[in-house]
Amino acid sequence: MSLDAAYARAQRLREHIRAFAAELPADLRQRCAQHAPLGKGEYVRWMRLLQARGWATAHWPRAHGGQDWSALERFVFEDELARLGLPWVIPFGVKYVAPVIYTHGSAWQQQRFLPPIAESREWWAQGYSEPGAGSDLAALQTRAERDGDDYLVNGQKIWTTYAQWADWIFCLVRTAQTPRPQSGISFLLIDMRSPGIRVKPIATMDGYHHVNEVWFENVRVPVIQRVGEENQGWRIAKFLLVNERTAGAIVGMAWAALQRLRELVDPQDAAGRRQLLELELRFDAFEAAAYAAVARMLTGNEDGAEAALIKLRGTELYQAIAETLIERLGDAGVAYDPDALHRGAAQCIGPADGGGLIKEHLYNRAATIFGGASEIQRGIVASAVFGL
Amino acid sequence: MTAPTDAAVQALAEAFERYARTRYPFERSRAAAAAGWSTDAWADYAAQGWLAMALAEHHGGIDADARVLGALMQTVGRHLLMEPLLASAVLGTASLRRSSPACLDADAPQLAAGALRVAVGLGHGALALRDDGLHGELAGVLHGDDAQRYVVGDTAAGLLCLVEPAAVQRRAYRLVDGRRAALLRFHRTPVLRLGGAEAAERLWQEAAVALCAETLGAAEALVDATAAHLKVRKQFGRTLGSNQVLAHRMSELYILREEIRALTAAAQQALAAQDGAAARAVAAARAYGIRAARSIANEAVQMHGGIGITEELPVSHHFRRLMVNAALFGGREAALRRLAAAD
Repeated sequence: MSLDAAYARAQRLREHIRAFAAELPADLRQRCAQHAPLGKGEYVRWMRLLQARGWATAHWPRAHGGQDWSALERFVFEDELARLGLPWVIPFGVKYVAPVIYTHGSAWQQQRFLPPIAESREWWAQGYSEPGAGSDLAALQTRAERDGDDYLVNGQKIWTTYAQWADWIFCLVRTAQTPRPQSGISFLLIDMRSPGIRVKPIATMDGYHHVNEVWFENVRVPVIQRVGEENQGWRIAKFLLVNERTAGAIVGMAWAALQRLRELVDPQDAAGRRQLLELELRFDAFEAAAYAAVARMLTGNEDGAEAALIKLRGTELYQAIAETLIERLGDAGVAYDPDALHRGAAQCIGPADGGGLIKEHLYNRAATIFGGASEIQRGIVASAVFGL
Repeated sequence: MTAPTDAAVQALAEAFERYARTRYPFERSRAAAAAGWSTDAWADYAAQGWLAMALAEHHGGIDADARVLGALMQTVGRHLLMEPLLASAVLGTASLRRSSPACLDADAPQLAAGALRVAVGLGHGALALRDDGLHGELAGVLHGDDAQRYVVGDTAAGLLCLVEPAAVQRRAYRLVDGRRAALLRFHRTPVLRLGGAEAAERLWQEAAVALCAETLGAAEALVDATAAHLKVRKQFGRTLGSNQVLAHRMSELYILREEIRALTAAAQQALAAQDGAAARAVAAARAYGIRAARSIANEAVQMHGGIGITEELPVSHHFRRLMVNAALFGGREAALRRLAAAD
């Protein structure tokens, strides 16, 4: 398919998404407009609304029930949802582990796990980071030792998003002590109901419970739930990280925050207008570079830094816009009650979405930390592009 | 009234720090935040004379100037003290000193004992005093949820006055750092006039310079915590701090912190000496300090990594406290407006 044809298809997709958004249930639209947090039930409902159009799995191959979406379409999809202020596509199942399973998994794993992921019948969590292995992921220490047809897993994961809702968790575990730490890692699919798993919440500064510690104590995992060969898990881990980091949502989030800022700047306020224009200019440059990077992925001309470029510039620009928004809100930019926002209560002062904007600002300070911190992304650029 | 010597200010600063280090650990701040602030800690402050400091000597105070109150506010910022020291003991008390001697004689013992808590609100074009009373509304009145007296003013209308809570409609709300504030609505509200444009402007300056000192304390805590983290946390087989890029970023934080410190000291001196340069010095410290502290807070969170956004460490609490402090009393906009006027 030519690039022009791909762009035309992507443009049609944007229009379909806008039509879809206009028909969403009023209560969901209301919560989104307020940036109120969603619970598991609301997210499952959201994922099923997407899947009613086949969109939750559209990037999967047709052989597995997908629509063979290109890198451009999946990028545009996330971008457009975020522009419309809609929830994110919960990625742990459809975006992270499913491609691992249909690319590297056994026939049994594909039959067992892909349908419930597609239908949002099973919720997944990502067991990557550990207390001693954040940016340095290969330093992970959670052990899996063979015991007959099982592994016995012991250790601790951290920053596990929505583990409190998860039915399954995919984990990187150490199956061998090797001089090169990457060589002793395996990729396991673990039932969260297994005896020996304990989930401990971590409260974040937006006042909500998104992330957890997950503890494993002699957790039995059948060997058939290992994806790929033993000790070959690092390759799979990296395959997944590229999917994780290629995120169109950050473009749409930055765009939506800019539109909100534009509404809040008085046209008579010359300094405010100038500040807005500078941010819009930065957005234009980012958006152009991001889509050029996606085009390189589409045509196989990658320099290897595409995902890093998008994540680095996108998250840092988003944070700059969000910070300006909060400053612009003045007293309303610091009036924040997470319980009231959760209930959907009206704001005491300022605009109806004021609390939600504060929540987004606080939560997204982590956007430059999770999924490969900015410091790691810069290292990837230096290495991939310049061989430094 | 004689200005305290540097040594006297230093001795007081050490006493504030000693209390906070031993009696107000981070856990106490977190517990206080759940309720807004701690009445036990408030009683401690009264017992130590902190609540009387801004009073005259014959009222049991020490006529504390901007440097002494700044030392207190620096401790408040460094240790995340949640109680209404800024609202009541610093700004409220200074403002009540403008009331009649008879009123002040009655109020001073109450202020010193912590029995009378004042909240202060200052607008710019938000209030109007007419024949039938005060009109308008003020948001962001820190600790205005349960204050027993209000000092409200407007720098555009040139007005500073005293209002009784019973005469005000107030809506309490929670701030992002856990403290409480109120939206005050005035309609034909009876007031006791404390002063005009000069008094209102002076109150803004006192607020700004106190917030600068609090910001400095927060900046110190964040820089110290981040440096300590970089020395301890290991990734890729070495400490984070051994990465040159992170070491260089720490050096930038050091410069920002020292700029805040120097501008704050200059503003305190100018305000304490009541010299003509005070207006500019205070506005400069406030405008620069807000942005410099925000850079420090952003970098502190980033360099801590995931743990930096959790409730577990003081870092995220300082981050949110600095958000609030940046918005109080008109925020950076109010400081820039004054800088432009002084130009």
